[in-house]
Amino acid sequence: MTDRNKNRIAGSAGGLVNGLFGGGGGMVLLPLLTKWSGLEARNAFATCVAVIFPMCIVSTAVYLFQVRPALSLVLPYLAGGVVGGIAGGMTFEKVPVRLLKLIFGAFLLYGGVRYLL
Amino acid sequence: MSEWLLPFLAAAATGVLSSWGVGGGTLLLVCMTLFLGVDHREAQAINLLFFLPTAGISLFFHRKNGFLDKTAWRQAAIPGTIASLAGALAALAVDVSLLRKPFGLFLLYSGASMLLSAKKGPPGNHTRGA
Repeated sequence: MTDRNKNRIAGSAGGLVNGLFGGGGGMVLLPLLTKWSGLEARNAFATCVAVIFPMCIVSTAVYLFQVRPALSLVLPYLAGGVVGGIAGGMTFEKVPVRLLKLIFGAFLLYGGVRYLL
Repeated sequence: MSEWLLPFLAAAATGVLSSWGVGGGTLLLVCMTLFLGVDHREAQAINLLFFLPTAGISLFFHRKNGFLDKTAWRQAAIPGTIASLAGALAALAVDVSLLRKPFGLFLLYSGASMLLSAKKGPPGNHTRGA
């Protein structure tokens, strides 16, 4: 398979998940992109965010148009996200990423079980 | 007060984690739907919206630092955006309960792959964004 087709498949798979579940495209896209494109981890991660960005714009538009959540419901999440993003950027490289991945990986497994039961 | 405080704190925690390269949007989705009582579709809309400012800021830096692979981006982003549009329209067209099981499986996969990547160690220490 050509690199071009691999990228197309990785993008499509990530996009489908992103649209269906309202997020999580990166969980599918990043491993595929890393494995197939041979990009260095940092470049693969940055490119992954860049690929997901336009996906999120279109699916956000679709969801907002149809669901229309109240502004008072949305705002605390957006404000928290911005504050958290800045705080995370400032404290970057000082954190035990590995431990956090173990904790939150387990958390997602728990979430998965709750959804399946 | 807790009406906005808990959502604010959950979002701030997720924002911190995703800018460290841990998790991302899936964590917030689970938090909102299982613990904060947000309707699943509203949670999806909020989660997508939540991603845009954080990712936008980090992309600005990634681009400036030359981390973006433009060829791979073009090849993945165009079909990906079309697929995402199709996925969003499909998700809103079907009954919300139909997506519970697939989403649960997706969470199991995400959790497992996060645990595996923790075993391998961080994939590079300069990752930012969602």
